Amino acid sequence: MPLQYYMEKLYLDEAEVESRRHFFEITADDLTRLAGLHSFAEKHTDDIVEDLYRLILGHPEAKKQFTEHATLVRVKQAQRDYFLGLFSGRCDLAYVQDRLRIGIAHERVGVPPKWYLGAYARYLRSIFDRIAVELPDAAQARAAYQSIEKLVAFDTALAMDTYIAAQLGALERHQAAIRELSTPIIRLYQQVLLLPLIGTIDTHRADQLMEAVLLKVVEEQAHVIIIDIAGVPLVDTKVADHLLKTTEAVRLLGAQTILSGISPIIAKTIVNLGMNISAMHTKSRLAEALELAFEIIGKRVTSIAKNHPAAAAEATEKS
Amino acid sequence: MSAHGSIPVLRIGSTLLASIQVELRDTIADAFQEDILQTIAKTGATGLVIDITGLEMVDSYVARVLTNTGRMATLMGTHAVVVGMQPVVAATLVRMGFRMEGVLTALNVDAGLALVSELIARRHGAGQ
Repeated sequence: MPLQYYMEKLYLDEAEVESRRHFFEITADDLTRLAGLHSFAEKHTDDIVEDLYRLILGHPEAKKQFTEHATLVRVKQAQRDYFLGLFSGRCDLAYVQDRLRIGIAHERVGVPPKWYLGAYARYLRSIFDRIAVELPDAAQARAAYQSIEKLVAFDTALAMDTYIAAQLGALERHQAAIRELSTPIIRLYQQVLLLPLIGTIDTHRADQLMEAVLLKVVEEQAHVIIIDIAGVPLVDTKVADHLLKTTEAVRLLGAQTILSGISPIIAKTIVNLGMNISAMHTKSRLAEALELAFEIIGKRVTSIAKNHPAAAAEATEKS
Repeated sequence: MSAHGSIPVLRIGSTLLASIQVELRDTIADAFQEDILQTIAKTGATGLVIDITGLEMVDSYVARVLTNTGRMATLMGTHAVVVGMQPVVAATLVRMGFRMEGVLTALNVDAGLALVSELIARRHGAGQ
């Protein structure tokens, strides 16, 4: 997913960035202080990054992410840039985009959040150890810690949001796939459609079903749609109501609905619940529904003399 | 043929065809209904096909006008069919509980005209 996708998913605009800065208590003073530490950062970049990779490469599982030397060189450079970014004295929309790019890269390579967070903790310890040496004045050091910690927390939030947005995106794609699978409308014959329903029907699915049915009827200019409910385990008042609504909507388009696959138990339920589905054509078997559909479009299924291959062969021999 | 309003009512044999291409605002809807009924009275048309393919949105008022026009035409002895409703319109109407009872429907103008002539033929058949 591109940067723009995440910017939109996370509603990241000037106002949102401002709001985040406010919550993480990142002030102009913090940013100035961080910018002031830039030379310190440059001096220690290589050390700190090397230290970080000692942790990662020393862990058998985490190490697996970096099997290729080229990858390692590349990520180390990215890490240096990232580290220096903390001391750029910025925390604006452009900064957020930079940070997001890194988060997206992590997510894409499949770095799980645990490695990310663990590495970050090491990172902070590394930085703080060096600051303690660099800034002997306790008050100054403390202020520096705080500023760094704020920005690091800000970055971590962005990274976590990116992970979550990526997961939700995947979930949405899967749901779309399931939706498509749950309304398999087949063209059985010219102007005749079949929707074999399988599984439970809830309100959400029923809504989608109706929309899919209506679109398909118009697209195919179908006169009849057979909805087969043999694979639906339970038909309660709600489901029956949805089916009725679909039937009505299909009628408004100028087509007809036939409900087939009505088992004894479904017939019983419908009558016992006092539901009136007389507006629908109903059949117990799909074959009967198909015959009715043919009738509606002015066709008929008739028997013809069977031409059995064996009988035909015998007839030829005799003649 | 009518000279009135923005929705022309065409005459094909003994059937009237009105294709609504513009958004039906309340005033147009009323004029349209009046126009249809007057044309039926004048021509003695036995069929009426109202094509709403061009309508992306139908509110309850317009739906009621369409339904009532169909019913009124039926009372005047004309077979009325509404054709070409968009899927999203059908879904919205049904969700609002609006069923357009008493009005026949067909997929498109072609099917609507066929339905009207079938109904007319059937009536003649029954009369004999």
